[in-house]
Amino acid sequence: MSAVLQLSNVVKTYGDLRALDGIELSLPEDSYVSLLGPSGSGKTTLLRVIAGFEQPESGAIRFSGKDVSNTPPHERNIGFVFQNFALFPHLSVYDNIAFGLVNRAVDPVTDMKLLDRKVRDMISLVGLAGLEGRATTQISGGQKQRVALARTLVTEPQMVLLDEPLGALDANLRARMRSELRMIRERCGVTFLHVTGSETEALAMGDTVLVLDRARIAQQGDSDTIYNRPCSPAVARFLNCYNLFSGKMADGGFATAQGLLGFQGHPQRAADPAYAIRYDRVDIRPAGAAATADEVQIEGTFIASEYTGSAVNAFFSLDDGKVFEVEAHLSHRAPENYEPHRRYALAWKREDALVFA
Amino acid sequence: MTMTAVTEEIKTEKAAANGPSGKTLWLLAPGVLWMLLFLVLPLAMMLYVSFWTQTTFKIEPTLTLKSWITFFTSDTYLGALWTTVRIWLIVLAATVVVGYPAALFVGLFVKNKTLQTVLLVLCVIPFWTSFLIRVLAWRPMLGKEGAINMILMKIGIISQPIEVLLFSELSVIIGMTQIYCVFMVGPIAFMLGRIDPSIIEAAKDLGAGFWRIFRTIILPLSMPGVVVGAIFVSVMVLGEFATSAALSGRKVNLLGNIIVTQVGSLKWAFAAVAGVVLTILMGAVVAALLRVVDLRKEL
Amino acid sequence: MNASGIKFGLGVYTTLFLVFLYGPLVVLAILSFQTGPEGGPQFPIIEWSTYWYKHLFGLTPPSRIAPLPIDQGLGRSMLLAMMTMVVSTILGVTAAQAFRRKFTGSGVVFYLIVLGMMVPGVLVGLGMALVANTLGIERHWWGTAFVLHVVYTFPFAFLVMLAIFNRFDSSVEEASWSLGVSPARTFRKVTFPLIFPGVLSAMLFAFTLSYDEFSRTLFASGRDLTLPLAIYGTFSVEVHPNVFAFGVLTTLFSFALLSVYAVLMGLSVRRAKRIAVQEEA
Repeated sequence: MSAVLQLSNVVKTYGDLRALDGIELSLPEDSYVSLLGPSGSGKTTLLRVIAGFEQPESGAIRFSGKDVSNTPPHERNIGFVFQNFALFPHLSVYDNIAFGLVNRAVDPVTDMKLLDRKVRDMISLVGLAGLEGRATTQISGGQKQRVALARTLVTEPQMVLLDEPLGALDANLRARMRSELRMIRERCGVTFLHVTGSETEALAMGDTVLVLDRARIAQQGDSDTIYNRPCSPAVARFLNCYNLFSGKMADGGFATAQGLLGFQGHPQRAADPAYAIRYDRVDIRPAGAAATADEVQIEGTFIASEYTGSAVNAFFSLDDGKVFEVEAHLSHRAPENYEPHRRYALAWKREDALVFA
Repeated sequence: MTMTAVTEEIKTEKAAANGPSGKTLWLLAPGVLWMLLFLVLPLAMMLYVSFWTQTTFKIEPTLTLKSWITFFTSDTYLGALWTTVRIWLIVLAATVVVGYPAALFVGLFVKNKTLQTVLLVLCVIPFWTSFLIRVLAWRPMLGKEGAINMILMKIGIISQPIEVLLFSELSVIIGMTQIYCVFMVGPIAFMLGRIDPSIIEAAKDLGAGFWRIFRTIILPLSMPGVVVGAIFVSVMVLGEFATSAALSGRKVNLLGNIIVTQVGSLKWAFAAVAGVVLTILMGAVVAALLRVVDLRKEL
Repeated sequence: MNASGIKFGLGVYTTLFLVFLYGPLVVLAILSFQTGPEGGPQFPIIEWSTYWYKHLFGLTPPSRIAPLPIDQGLGRSMLLAMMTMVVSTILGVTAAQAFRRKFTGSGVVFYLIVLGMMVPGVLVGLGMALVANTLGIERHWWGTAFVLHVVYTFPFAFLVMLAIFNRFDSSVEEASWSLGVSPARTFRKVTFPLIFPGVLSAMLFAFTLSYDEFSRTLFASGRDLTLPLAIYGTFSVEVHPNVFAFGVLTTLFSFALLSVYAVLMGLSVRRAKRIAVQEEA
């Protein structure tokens, strides 16, 4: 697969703040890419630089083989879907969708029949049939989202940037729009770059997931790699499914406030050393239970648990006050009841631990 | 996740505050150029010409202080300066006294938004009549056979018409107060409308009487409105000449009137001196008022 | 004294205040129906008539009272107000557009523009007359006076547009660019329709301020009188009820203008809420 978009060493600053600090990036053609980052990591800035709304201080942006660093936004052929949708409030749903085709600088559609066919095809693709004549103030959030998407897709951009496109929708609608977005993208065959702050959304939607941390790309890979082998403690922390211990390498393990924790294999290279164990790899046992040789075991006091339907998340307080989370999938075993303020042993296999040093 | 969006949005809003870019410069150039050529240049010219030599019918670009000396040694000019300051102070005080209670009612006591808007619109409607006509309208009101004298005589308060009502300093003050007090009412009512009613409720619950609430809460919070109103009124009254020309029968000469008559008799240098004095006076007044309140923040 | 007593007292006061504001205008309107040509500008009304309205339009037999020189002045004032309206609105929109981005020196430029509405007309008028004299430029209402009118009205248009742009969401413009629409066309098709109500208000401000302006015009226009100058000319002579009749008519004209504005405003609001499919469909 060839790259449709390449960024090399892109830097963008606001005064003293480095919003983008040497971004290196290459996105494949015809794929769904999600960009995951905590707040303030520069995700929106990155999208705005790619779209051309902001000029980076340095670095090159190559889009489908051409350097577009100095190309104005309207000549880039990159679509943009805003979080607040930014529909044209003075135009109807139909006219919002027809707007780009009629008014674009390159190759505007003047044939009314062709225009009407394209617009109506798009309206049925995104499921807005019957709402053509509505004002943008007279449709629901999900429908606005579809108009915003349809308006962009009908102009056949080579790539579409989506800035937290589901952020303004309620949870129910969000889940439905996820699969619809993927479906619509597959039918159009263009690359989507979807920015989100939600790790579940990023992992669920992206063929490729990019993780942005402190103005740099921290990791790029498929969902499985990102989830199972985060390349740094920061990525692991942001995935929200790892217990992390800071400490340093020692003989026969990793030294932390909980004592020496064992692991297998070679530690990954990272700036700040840490020991990570996934929530769902931990076994809860009565205090004082024996551990096997290939296991690591620590003790904690049970605080509370949270039922999510398919799993139960249990929270323990370790001796230094740190909160330790365990996720038990209910398909594996029936939910157990733990007593508050009782101590339990928490055990996991050495091979499941990830170590960064 | 919304938090994420908000913080990132704030960041992008804080666009780099460097010098005006090419496009901004082109957008600004026409307006700035217009103001420099047709506002700053004329004012600078006025200052320059005030040092020219005045002969009977023309001026020569030979620099001299003569016009300035004439101005500050002449009783007429100094009298006009004093009249301007006096009328300005009286009208300013009158607009506050007359306008404040009305603003208090509209801004604070009228809770119904529609009624509030209606009252404010009622205050603005007279502006749809020509300024000069509004000034002239005082003549049939105040004259010897005017409406006020007629009514007062009808109800038997006076037996002789009051002649001092028209063509006097009083008529100028009455006219100016009526014309300009709306500029005082507006900003004060605006400020009073912004007071959180719960503060006043809380003070009432603590047992404070109306006067105490007025002195400690309402008055201090409405002060910026008074100052903004004072700026409007001062700027307009100091530059006045039409009201005194129409209602004083040439008895009241403001600096504005001096400029008009000097220009009429082609005494450009004297007119320029009076203009510069007026500019300095106004600059000082506005600067003093702006020290009290930041105009850009309050608007 | 209790609060409701104070409220009542202030209500009565405000009523009196409105009487103070309107009294002279009401008296003026009544006296405009004085009989003529012998009836003067004072009470009592000898006989109700529309003589002075006819007098304004030259429909009465010649008398010792000269007709107001308004016919040409009216045309000039309208044209001048139109020119001022167009130019100051364009300047106001472009300057406010520039202020959407932060730049160093914006404070200085802001005060330079606002200065235009603060400096009294006599001062800029005098300054302009001096500049024109020195440079040997002839003074005309359509030249030297016109530029001063714009100096006066441009700041109002600028402030109105500044307030409009403050509430404007620029992502709709970015959305338009990302659809391949050039910035110029985006301004025409997206920005302008959305700021149109503001532009209309700026135009209204500029027109009425210019139409009524006389202190700048007094020094900066040449021999040809504009309407306010014609009225100003009556200050030094005896006033007749024809001026009052004229006042009533100009007020009615202002209200007509205001109604046009209200209708246009209503239309643009309705257009924004419009449901029908557009003409292209």
